Amino acid sequence: MIKLLNVSKIYPNGVRALQDISLTIEKGEFVFLVGPSGAGKSTLIKLLFREEKPTYGQILIAGKNIARLKKSQVPILRRNIGVVFQDFRLLEDRTAFENVSFAMEVLEHPKKEIQQRVHHVLNMVGLKDRMNYYPHQLSGGEQQRVAIARAIVNRPHILVEDEPTGNLDPETSKEILKLLIDINRSGTTVIMATHEWSLVNRTNNRVITLDKGKLVRDGEKVLFAYEG
Amino acid sequence: MKVKTIGYFFKQALKSILRNFWMSFASVATVAVSLIILGAFILLTANTSYIAHEVEQDVEIAVFLYVDTPEDEVKALGDELQDIPGVASVELVPKEEGLRQLSRQFGEEHDLVSALGGKNPLPDYYIVKAEEPQKVSLIVKEIEKLPHVEKVNYGQGVVEKLFSITRWIRIGGIVTVAVLAACTVFLIAVTIRLTIYARRKEVNIMKSVGATNWFIRWPFLLEGIFLGFFGALIASIVLYFSYILLIDKITAAFSFLPVQRDLSVLKNMVLVVLPTGPLIGFLGSLLSLQRYLKI
Repeated sequence: MIKLLNVSKIYPNGVRALQDISLTIEKGEFVFLVGPSGAGKSTLIKLLFREEKPTYGQILIAGKNIARLKKSQVPILRRNIGVVFQDFRLLEDRTAFENVSFAMEVLEHPKKEIQQRVHHVLNMVGLKDRMNYYPHQLSGGEQQRVAIARAIVNRPHILVEDEPTGNLDPETSKEILKLLIDINRSGTTVIMATHEWSLVNRTNNRVITLDKGKLVRDGEKVLFAYEG
Repeated sequence: MKVKTIGYFFKQALKSILRNFWMSFASVATVAVSLIILGAFILLTANTSYIAHEVEQDVEIAVFLYVDTPEDEVKALGDELQDIPGVASVELVPKEEGLRQLSRQFGEEHDLVSALGGKNPLPDYYIVKAEEPQKVSLIVKEIEKLPHVEKVNYGQGVVEKLFSITRWIRIGGIVTVAVLAACTVFLIAVTIRLTIYARRKEVNIMKSVGATNWFIRWPFLLEGIFLGFFGALIASIVLYFSYILLIDKITAAFSFLPVQRDLSVLKNMVLVVLPTGPLIGFLGSLLSLQRYLKI
């Protein structure tokens, strides 16, 4: 369970990225985080895996205030949160398989287990036939799938995506969404930041709307046209 | 930490060294040069203090008697000298022997004896050796009290001068080496910074999937340690063979100079130089990690 209590984030340059946000996300939920760019979605995601600390307020994950986490405890938090970045962040000099296995190698998993699990997740994201391709040989959607595979290979409880479909065509976006829903059904809490209303409207999931750093709506189903 | 992980760290460190080959090369060379200078100072101070000790061991006290001292008095004085506590040996150099030595020093072609008109103006003198170099000044005081003694000569100041030269070489060495070491640490820090920059993407991914801070740091630290170690290795080899070559040349050219032929001095030098390299490398990496690797 994730709980935010009066969280504000003011960057050193004075930008108020988030203002007094309070919300709770239950275990196993699928939550959309929407809002125009600059609304604070990326900041919120960065706070969740302790890339940034909140200026005010508390963030509780599994009952622990992660703002107060000791430096040595941060890696343990991050092992429980898979992150998919907007720009994928794949290593260009490694194949799809190696990109995914890298995430397990740096956590010192045994080689055999790495082999099995990487095959399994690449199969799951539909890249069974492309695991030996380098990122530049893969399409945008496929690269996205590699990034998702890497984020879930260590079996995190929470999967966070920052605009995962930002640069993809609508058809590919739909497929990625389907994949994320599958991952969610297997018990992982999924938080997906996006500004694509077409995707949001496709499901019945909870939508948290941010605007200029403020929480403007937190509701089950939203049905209104996106003005941007 | 698993054995496999240590292997991974080594592989990453060596890979980075090869990737930034010229920068690594420059770092290794700088470490080597600094350590060669450090080692040279160590060898130099070892030798000057060795020479000082040798000279000190060799200090002789020359006791010149008045020219007109009767022969039996000269003999009696020899016994008295022998009785002074701390005296190891007493040797009489009669005036005839003194003249022979002097004319030898002037050379065969000068006929010193005939130039002096057949007369010998030299006094008899005794050469007194002390049991220990520290007792020389005490013995000299005792000798000066004895009758018929005109003048006492001993290596006044020579030993002290040698020791003060050794001290200054040591101070100069420490200062020079400290400055060079600081430069070397800085250069290694720059090299490691390049590696951090080259691997920033990997580092970001490692951080985001929850690799521990030390897991991320070790390859960089190892890289610095390796650079330092390679430099130290080169420095040790260069110093070792140069010294052996050099002492052969020195003993051939200046046979009177007591140099340290004993190879334990080389062993001591290597024992200082070899660990200093990796230490410098470690400090350089640490400096860079502190500044550029935000974990």
